[in-house]
Amino acid sequence: MPRGLKILVVVLAIAVIAGLISLQPLRRRIRRLGESRSADEQARHAVLAPPISTPTDVTVKAQIFWAAGPDNVAPVEVDLALSADPVERSRQLLQALIANPLTEEQRTLPAETTLSAFYLAPDGTAVADFSDAIASGLPSGILSEEMAVNSIARTLESNVPGLRRLKILIHGQEVDTLAGNVDLTGFFDLNSVPASPTAAATMSSPPEHANQER
Amino acid sequence: MLCAVRNSLFSLACLLVVGSAVLLLRARPTRSSPQEEPQSTPEPAPPPTPPATPSGPVIVLDPAHGGTDTGARGEGGVAEKDIVLRMMRTVREQLALQGYRVVATRRDDSNPSYDDRAAVANAYRDAIFISLHVASTGTSGTVRAYYDQFSVPLSTESASPVLGIKALAQPSSPLVLWDEAQRPYLDASHRLADVIQNQLARSFPGSPTVSTGAAVRTLRSVMAPAVAVETSSISKSKPDALTGAAGPISSAIAAGIVALRQSNGAEAR
Repeated sequence: MPRGLKILVVVLAIAVIAGLISLQPLRRRIRRLGESRSADEQARHAVLAPPISTPTDVTVKAQIFWAAGPDNVAPVEVDLALSADPVERSRQLLQALIANPLTEEQRTLPAETTLSAFYLAPDGTAVADFSDAIASGLPSGILSEEMAVNSIARTLESNVPGLRRLKILIHGQEVDTLAGNVDLTGFFDLNSVPASPTAAATMSSPPEHANQER
Repeated sequence: MLCAVRNSLFSLACLLVVGSAVLLLRARPTRSSPQEEPQSTPEPAPPPTPPATPSGPVIVLDPAHGGTDTGARGEGGVAEKDIVLRMMRTVREQLALQGYRVVATRRDDSNPSYDDRAAVANAYRDAIFISLHVASTGTSGTVRAYYDQFSVPLSTESASPVLGIKALAQPSSPLVLWDEAQRPYLDASHRLADVIQNQLARSFPGSPTVSTGAAVRTLRSVMAPAVAVETSSISKSKPDALTGAAGPISSAIAAGIVALRQSNGAEAR
């Protein structure tokens, strides 16, 4: 066998062995990357949704609407430092709604959800812009989606005076539905009179306070 | 002689080409309309339309989701889209046996748009739209009936100035905005949902006794009484238990239709 060919075979053999050796750490690294995604998500959450404090913060008993069983939401009174500014106040409340449920069963919005922006128009129209996780992490279904919207709408209307209606955006865009069922193209009325006495008696009680205006 | 043979062969070839083209055209799949039979999934022929109630309403059954939109997911990859399709078949058979004309917005694993689903009901003068769903959550074994939720009508100052067409939605106009199509039927939908929910509460203990209003996207453009029925839940119940709910749901729907027609008749009088 010519000397050059021998050298080539040796080089190739070394390359194959090196490849095989590096394959295992590579697989471990890929696995580790996958596992650290949730940690990254939490870190991102901490960066994007840092605690909001304003000079006008006063600790009050706020009513946060979390799940009270599998079928309905109910207010839970919590001590929360809330701003006098309605926009900051709304952001503080929605952050608490996402981040502070006492148990996982109380959660109505996915833990990875972040509030990207919150706007308030002079006519009382509130616009809440959430990250994609609110849709991608929410179980599909009319009930779960209605509970999610209802927890947002009722938490805002119970703690922020002057809000008239709510628009929910996802990633800065108007979307057709939250997770395939509940319509997000319109506005949800806040602080409104119940649409009908019958609806007010429903056990999940989403409609009367979160009616949608189109 | 040779010329005659050549001509014959040419004629034969032409005939073959034309015949093949005709066969191909006949066999080519046409765009599947919601009422058509599935192209891929074989299914028993729908029950014949009973002549007993030729003037009765057409029941439009809408199995939610479909195609790449699986809807709620359960253990082992169970998908809402498949369960509601099976439920639709049972409900359709049972309602047909009771003399109702029944059509479906989908009969296979397709995913018509919300507007296409609504269009099936809107094509009939007298229709009732029932959308079938399975929830991801909720107390297992309970079923909820939803009607669409609109709030107070838009005041002129809150209407978008861009939408000069809003004027078309005024009662004096015969034109109806597609996005507002359900609004005139809210009362009928609410009454229908209440009767259905009341019946469901008897068959499924733990279910609410009155219906729920919610902004259900699929109901918004339906120009007919429209109700969504959602069974809980895909995460806790076995698929057979969920599809087994279709029987009592059929009875509840039938009771709702009868009650709605009676109340409409009483109002007309």
